[in-house]
Formats: sequence, C-alpha cells, structure tokens
Amino acid sequence: MTPSGQPRSPQRWRQTLGGAVAAAVVWLLASDALAAGGKPATKLVNVADTRALEPGFTRWVADIYNTSHWLFALLVVVVMCGMGLALGLLCDRLVGLLGINLGKMSHHE
Amino acid sequence: MDFLNVYLPIAGLHFNVLLLLLIGFTVGVCGGFFGIGGAWIVTPALNIFGFPMPYAIGTDLAHMGGKSIVSTIRHGKFGNVDLRLGFSMILGTTVGMELGAQLVMVLERAGLAESVIRKAYIAFLALIGSYVLYDYISFTRQQRRQGPTAVAPRRETLAARLQRVRIPPMIHFRASGITCSLWLPVLVGLVTGVVASVLGVGGGFIRMPALIYLVGCPTAVAVGTDLFEVMITGAYGAATYAVKGRVDLIAAMWMLLGAAIGAQLGTVAVKYVRGYFIRLLFAMTIFVACASVILKQLALQLASSITILTAGIGISTVIIALLVRGVARERAALRAGQGGAER
Repeated sequence: MTPSGQPRSPQRWRQTLGGAVAAAVVWLLASDALAAGGKPATKLVNVADTRALEPGFTRWVADIYNTSHWLFALLVVVVMCGMGLALGLLCDRLVGLLGINLGKMSHHE
Repeated sequence: MDFLNVYLPIAGLHFNVLLLLLIGFTVGVCGGFFGIGGAWIVTPALNIFGFPMPYAIGTDLAHMGGKSIVSTIRHGKFGNVDLRLGFSMILGTTVGMELGAQLVMVLERAGLAESVIRKAYIAFLALIGSYVLYDYISFTRQQRRQGPTAVAPRRETLAARLQRVRIPPMIHFRASGITCSLWLPVLVGLVTGVVASVLGVGGGFIRMPALIYLVGCPTAVAVGTDLFEVMITGAYGAATYAVKGRVDLIAAMWMLLGAAIGAQLGTVAVKYVRGYFIRLLFAMTIFVACASVILKQLALQLASSITILTAGIGISTVIIALLVRGVARERAALRAGQGGAER
C-alpha cells in the first residue's frame, strides 16, 4: 500500500525489487572486493633467517620468533626476568666474598 | 677473533660478544649507580655498531628489565627501595605516559612534534643538569663555611613545602623517612610520565631528580626506588617491542650478562659515595647526554654516538674507582678493628 492508501502498481513493485537486488549485488561485490584486497600492505613481516643455524638454543629462539611474536614476547619477558633474578642472586653471593658489610646502609647526603 | 662473533638471527647480523658484554657492563654500572635505565648509552652504541634503530631500542628495553632486577635486589638489601612509594608513583606514571602519548599525537597533527620535542629535550636536560649542579655547589659552599660536619642545606626546600600540603590520605614512606599526601608521588609520577612520554625516554633521568627535589627522598633511596620503576617499565617495554618483533633476545642475553656484573658493582658503589657526590656525577652525565642530543641535531650522528659511548665508559670507570677505594678503606678499617680487638 502507498501512503495515500492506493495499492502499489506491478511496475512500482518491479522497480522496488530491482533496486533492492542492485543494492544487494553492489554490497556483496564491494565486500568481496575489499576481502580480496586483504589488509593494507603497511608493514613487512619480520622473519629470522634460520637457514645457516645449527640446531640449538639460537635456532630454537629464532623458530619461536618465526612462529608467533606473542609467544616470543612471553619468552623474552620470562628469560630476561629469570636471568635477572638468577644473576642478581649469584652476583650478590660473589660480592659477599669481598668481605664488606652488605647490610642496611645509612644515608649520607 | 672470529670465534667471538655470534650470529643474531633476529637483527640479522654478526656481532662481537665482547662488545655486547662491554656495552652491558658500562650501562649496568651507570644504571646501578644513578638509578637509570641507560637507554641513552645502549641505543646509540648498538646503532653505531650496526643494529637497526628499532631493534636497538627493543633489545635495550629487554636487557634493562633484567638488569634492573639485579640492582633492585641489591638496593633492596641496602634499604634503598621504598616499595610503597614506587607503587604510588607507578599509578601516576602509567596515566602520565598515556597522556604524554596523546599530547605527542596533538603536536604531530599540528606539525610541531619534531621541533617542539627536540628543543624541549635539550632544554629539559640543560635545566635538570644546571639545577642539580647548582644544588651541589651551594651545598659544598655551605660545607666549606661550616666545616666537614655540615649536613644538607637547612633552607626550606620545595619538597618540604610540598610535603606540608595535607590532602588525605596522608602516607608515611618508611624507607624514605617522609610523610606526605598520597597525591604528591602520584602527581610527580604523572608529571614525569607525561614528560618522559613526550620526550620519548624511559624516565629515569627525570624521575630520579624528581624523587629528590619534589618528593624529598634521600639520594640513595631515590636511586633504588627509581630502579624499581625502571624494572617494571623495562619489562613492559620489552614485551611491547617483542610483540612487534623488534627484540634480539640473544643480544639482550649477552648484554644482560655484562650488565648484571656492572649493575652489582655500580649499586655497591653507592654505599661509598655521599649523596651529593652522586648528584654531581649525575649532573655531569646529564650534560653529556644533552651535548650528544645537540650533536645529533647538528646532523653529527657519529660524533654524538662516540661522545655518549666514551662518556659512558669514562663515568663507569670513575664509579668503579670509587668502589675499589671504598672497599679497600672498609677492609683496612675492619682489619684495624680486628687488630685493636686482638691487642
């Protein structure tokens, strides 16, 4: 029904249907075209070259780097914190061998 | 010397292990002594020897987190880490760094980022260095007038005035020996966070003097507490750069090995040096950093990097010399005490 209460003519129905199909086609094609383009090529992927590396720790780190940067980030934080803690405690012991007082210090300005 | 070269697959280059250990050691000594991360030494040093800049920054941040743990453990045992103060400041620092990043975006949109930030950095370093140097000179003058028993200047400091602002909640920071409103360290953290973020630096250069002159911490506590913050910001920075694939873990591990030894020595050296002497060396370090930024602006990149590297090695040599002298004196005093007790 039209706003004035008159029934729509068959031509009017065809025009409305044709417009809707055209809009759907444009929408589908546009989204397909965008999907085919992928993300904008703003950044190159970083890859560690492992071809010359023998199996070992360095190779393992490089493989993790190439697999997932998130996993690599976790590895960086864990290794750095673990090494910092271990080396901190070890160096603490070694400095203790100097035979100096390593207790609380008084603050001299 | 080929056997000392290691292949760094992530940065994609061969690098000398001794060089990595030396850079780590130098920055470790300075970091443990001044309570700073030391990006101003590491980043140009790695860059000058072939590291691409983003990898130099990421690798520096990664080793910084680990190195600061070493220093924080030792400073904690000396009673120089005020955890309550550190946590209060982190809150403000985090918000401040985000605000600073937004400010940089605004400056970028206005096309002013490069020129404003560059000039602000130079002005800021010169200002901090001059103030710390002025403070040292006025203290030594007073000491000369009063004799060797002089204590810190009795004039009312800005920190003392800020501590008197009683906005609840009031908190006592035991390690620092001060009582002030919680809002003081939060605000100082916020301001230093904004400045650090705008200038694109870690913040140790700014936080350490801010803890002394705005919060009122003793110098050694300012150094220890700042390192606690550097530890957290370093770990966070390492994670964000690693997610972007800009950290060479193998290089960071070698550097951390050297930095751990250097950080331990730099931290123990604090025990043998008076607070004001730390401030004097800090002022000199800041002037060198300022000179290097000026050289960089004059397009003298190589001269800038060499200045920084030479200064870093020079300053860490002075710190090690102070440590050796202090240890020798303490051991001699201990032996004399034992000898006296035996007699």
